[in-house]
Amino acid sequence: MKRFGLSHLLVTLGASIGLWAVLAGACLLFGSSGVHWPGREQLGVRLEPTLIASIVGAALACAGAVYQAILRNPLAEPYLLGVSSGAALFVYLWSLPLAAVPLLESLSQQTFAFLGAMTALAVVFALAQRRGRLEPVTLLLVGVIVNAINGALFLLVYQINLRQRLTSAPDDAFRFLIGGIRTNLLPEQIVAAAVCVGVCLTVVLYLSGQINAAMLSEAEAQSLGVRIGRLRWVALIVASLMTAAAMSICGPIGFVGLVCPHLARRMVGNDQRRLIPVATGLGAGLLAVADVGSRLLQHLPVGVLTGFLGGPFFLVLLWRQRRAAGMGGR
Amino acid sequence: MNEMLLRAQGLSFAYTAKPVLRDVSLRLRPGRIVAVLGPNGSGKSTLFRAALGHVRAQGVVEWEGRPLRQWPQRQLSRRVAYLPQFPTCDEGQTVAQVLRLGRAPYWGAFGLESEQDLSAVREVAQLLELGELMGRSMDELSGGQRQRVFLGRCLVQGPRAMLLDEPSTSLDLHYQVEMLKLLRRLASEQSLGVLMALHDLNLAASVADEVVLLDDGAVVASGVPADVLRPDVLSRLYSLPMERIDREGRLPVVLPAI
Repeated sequence: MKRFGLSHLLVTLGASIGLWAVLAGACLLFGSSGVHWPGREQLGVRLEPTLIASIVGAALACAGAVYQAILRNPLAEPYLLGVSSGAALFVYLWSLPLAAVPLLESLSQQTFAFLGAMTALAVVFALAQRRGRLEPVTLLLVGVIVNAINGALFLLVYQINLRQRLTSAPDDAFRFLIGGIRTNLLPEQIVAAAVCVGVCLTVVLYLSGQINAAMLSEAEAQSLGVRIGRLRWVALIVASLMTAAAMSICGPIGFVGLVCPHLARRMVGNDQRRLIPVATGLGAGLLAVADVGSRLLQHLPVGVLTGFLGGPFFLVLLWRQRRAAGMGGR
Repeated sequence: MNEMLLRAQGLSFAYTAKPVLRDVSLRLRPGRIVAVLGPNGSGKSTLFRAALGHVRAQGVVEWEGRPLRQWPQRQLSRRVAYLPQFPTCDEGQTVAQVLRLGRAPYWGAFGLESEQDLSAVREVAQLLELGELMGRSMDELSGGQRQRVFLGRCLVQGPRAMLLDEPSTSLDLHYQVEMLKLLRRLASEQSLGVLMALHDLNLAASVADEVVLLDDGAVVASGVPADVLRPDVLSRLYSLPMERIDREGRLPVVLPAI
């Protein structure tokens, strides 16, 4: 039995960064000119999408781990809860001229994304809650419905804009429907997202011990000194903020927040103090790999690839959970 | 031993229109075991939740002479441990992980543990003879072993008082007696105050210094077991004819007269 002290925390963080570095480093080998280590000029070109994908992947994986722990639901993740699509929809609205009204124009893209994420989360909670309890499958069903509504709203606004010729190029608009890593971002946009994700990750790690206790029943968590109501709100807001920061630069990318925490759980177990950093490193690295994969596959948006890979993973998890629930009920 | 761990005075609470607790008062002193008895739905679990502040009841709750609302959650959890009727752990957690979680009230930022945290875990593991099980998954344990681990999680908190909601649930008679003997020992040796809900009247009588009978949210009798566990009181409480067998020099036995 080894103590989880400062050295243990630093080793975990180091291993997580190492995991990301190996995967991200491998991504740098792939470019339009073939598979080889890039020269100085090529390095900058290849580094940009790798770093953006890493920021987004880290945010989604960390948010997914937090949602799963706080909601005590192994199927929870930003995309399936409708948080990603809510954030992306609001970012799309921000990009339109209709947002240029006096009060709204002062709000940043990130703020819009956060408002979208929180609105979606609030709607999901309000509809899925029954007598103060959130039933896991109901939560996901409501998330699916909110996703569908967000998609429909996007298409509606898109059509209106298309007719009034207000919108930018169609392929750019559709990134708010299917996420993809863009390389035409302003440096400020990347920095803002990175800082937001970094700060949120630090807060989540700070709370990771309490999040461990929050995975028990409410009464047990309270009796272990956790102010569970406050912790839930803080953790959910921080996770949603992180998701919003990622969505504001790439659109909704699904299943990263589901798959990475589960893979990390297989590697380091359920202790959130280890799981959260490892899942974050894994998410950063794996989305960078997925982005390279999607570029090799005719430049598909990476959201398509993560959907193809993550969908079956989700179905397996759902099947396992229902089987476990069935066995428990016998 | 005049020091008071818990003083609950005039507690009343209702989830809906129907009251679940009606003017309930009780006290817990160090080294004493108080058993709360009563039929299902009599308000035992709610009483515990009210004493811990998990539900906001009317009335006064003081821990160590300080009103409940003045206790920061973290500080209170270093003094008072709670074992619910159906304790939980995360899927696949090992015994060691469950025990270590009991030190959560002492962890620093980022969940950092101190050397004291680990030595507290080792001591409790030794006390409850859990040493060989430490690496085992909770899913692999028997009901009795699991309950011992959950009791261990409470003890790791280093509490002065423990609130145990039907701790003998899912235990066979052997383990029930073992657990109650252990609690008796802890109360005597470590001056631990134990408040526990039980269903077995005779086991409660054998271990408790005091019993409190609850019916429909109100205290119908309280005091030393021999005085309180009377057939007339119990017959009304459980709607069953009850009889009592007095044994010379030993505790009386109460049972349904069927």
